[in-house]
Amino acid sequence: MTKHKLLSLGHGLFLGFIALIIIFPFYWMIASSLKTENQIFQLPPVWLFKPHFASYAAAIVNDNILRALLNSLIVTVGAVALGIAVGAPAAYGLARYTFRGSSQIQFWYVTNWMLIPVVVLIPFYLLAANLRMIDNPIVLILIYQTFVVPVVVWLLVDQFRAVPIALEEAALLDGMSKFGIFLRITLPLTVPGITVAAILAGIFAWNDLLYAFILTPGTDARTAPTVMMSYLGGYIIPWGRVMASAVMITGPVVVGGIAINKYIARGLTLGAVK
Amino acid sequence: MAQISIDGVTKRYGATEVLKRLDLSVAEGEFMVLLGPSGCGKTTLLRMIAGLETPSTGRIMIGGTDVTLTPPAKRDVGMVFQSYALYPHMTVRENIALGLKLRGVTPTEIASRIERVAALVQIAPYLERKPKALSGGQRQRVALARVIAREPSVSLMDEPLSNIDAQLRTVMRAELLRIHRKTGMTTIYVTHDQEEAMGLGDRITVMNFGHVEQIGTPDEIYAHPANAFVARFIGAPRMNLIRLAHRPGANAIEAAGIRAPVPATLGTLPPDLFLGFRGEEARPGAAHDGEAMIEGVVDVVEHLGAQIEVHLRLDDGEEAVFRRPRGETIWREGERASLAIPAAHLHLFNAETGAALRA
Ligand SMILES: Nc1ncnc2c1ncn2[C@@H]1O[C@H](COP(=O)(O)OP(=O)(O)O)[C@@H](O)[C@H]1O
Ligand SMILES: [Mg+2]
Repeated sequence: MTKHKLLSLGHGLFLGFIALIIIFPFYWMIASSLKTENQIFQLPPVWLFKPHFASYAAAIVNDNILRALLNSLIVTVGAVALGIAVGAPAAYGLARYTFRGSSQIQFWYVTNWMLIPVVVLIPFYLLAANLRMIDNPIVLILIYQTFVVPVVVWLLVDQFRAVPIALEEAALLDGMSKFGIFLRITLPLTVPGITVAAILAGIFAWNDLLYAFILTPGTDARTAPTVMMSYLGGYIIPWGRVMASAVMITGPVVVGGIAINKYIARGLTLGAVK
Repeated sequence: MAQISIDGVTKRYGATEVLKRLDLSVAEGEFMVLLGPSGCGKTTLLRMIAGLETPSTGRIMIGGTDVTLTPPAKRDVGMVFQSYALYPHMTVRENIALGLKLRGVTPTEIASRIERVAALVQIAPYLERKPKALSGGQRQRVALARVIAREPSVSLMDEPLSNIDAQLRTVMRAELLRIHRKTGMTTIYVTHDQEEAMGLGDRITVMNFGHVEQIGTPDEIYAHPANAFVARFIGAPRMNLIRLAHRPGANAIEAAGIRAPVPATLGTLPPDLFLGFRGEEARPGAAHDGEAMIEGVVDVVEHLGAQIEVHLRLDDGEEAVFRRPRGETIWREGERASLAIPAAHLHLFNAETGAALRA
């Protein structure tokens, strides 16, 4: 065996090991969700078993997980839509015009992302409570802007800069208005970038526990991560339902991750406009 | 009446003056070429005519109307960008139609104009394609079609041929002329390629460092360059400019290896001169009456195929370069040789100011 072959074998083993570490928890989650409570804790683990959907049924019937997933979906889609409606024009302005303080504004947008959530949470909670808006999904949609807008601005400024200015000038000579140019020339050319921003921001919103746990704790308004939290309250943790719910919650995130994986791998440089 | 007139236009970016009190007028239907080295302000001038930049001072008129502060959309100007700037997410047809739609042209009229223009620039088979699926030459035609279909009163082109290969460039040059003859659009065409300028322009504006060096027909500019810059810039191979110190008062120039008659009408000559001549207007051998004579040692003979290029070293160190037919055997490296140049083809320039000395 040559040195080169040995090296690539080592390489392969290492990658396999990493993959195992990443994939195993997913396997364990899915397998446990399909086992009975007894099978989950058997040692050595049962590798072959008849799938059993009682945990899913229980999660749906007892914990109303579908309602929680729908709440999560509403809040996530709402937060992302608002974030793009606000963030895309902001990013466009920052990309195309330099004015006094424009780079500071861009920095401010992006660093908002690093805000410690608790700092925002307490005043926001008081505000929402006084407005009688606890358990209202609009509160979550609004507070999620603290990270959705920064993600959108951060990604889209570069996207808009990558659109050649000559295209906008050609449209200007063709008689298009500035807003028309943004809407009909520049925006369509940055759809891949906007998709990445939407999915990335959407994953953050979907996964949020802290804000949702405090601001929408009610049974009808709570989001999926809050339901997960509720399992931990009793004397016995219902692992089958925990795992079944976890599968239903992480499913969309995995799908979203795979969808933008190609772009993320390209270092988010989607500016292939020319 | 001039279709476009530019009166004393200056453009500054911060402290740098990119255009300096520039005057230019272009007639209705004329094909005007702006020619000059890279960075001399051609694009800036074109963009000001389009309305994409505003002059710092001065006035721009199109069709008798002052448009200095008019936004681009209201100027009735079309532009072919150097990068073509085709909308990548639209088909060729949509690219051409957009400007027409925005100007309220009816759908039936749009369809018929696209058909006409597509035939004119030969892009009919590609109308449903996206720009990505076109070659450089095809994109260039689409960019042209987009302007022609709009029937603007002025069309501007910024080095439209610079991104396509040399072979296609010659083809497209002829196309551009054919299309211009058909449409009669007033055109301002920017290039840094003097050959392209000579081939295309009804007139040429030679620019340098933000000002106009000379405006004239290709013939005028070639035969009577207004100054040493134009003389050097126009024509390939370049005009020979030989520097000589002149003894004031004499009515002929005499220097080491050079003798040239000077018309009395020129008056007193400045002490520092360039003597200019084009290689193709000189002939080998001794000078007759009224001809200039240049003599030196053949330095190098280069073989270029149909021609040879001779480098003649004059006695005071200056060099003259000219081309002769292949097989002319009188040029032997290291031997003395002489050239005769008819007085009509002699150019004299003030070496200090660069200005041509004219009778
Ligand atoms: N927006 C700008 N800001 C500062 N300088 C500029 C700008 N646009 C052009 N210039 C300068 O103006 C000069 C002329 O540019 P340009 O008109 O593009 O020249 P050309 O088209 O003849 O090559 C160049 O020196 C260029 O650097
Ligand atoms: Mg230019």
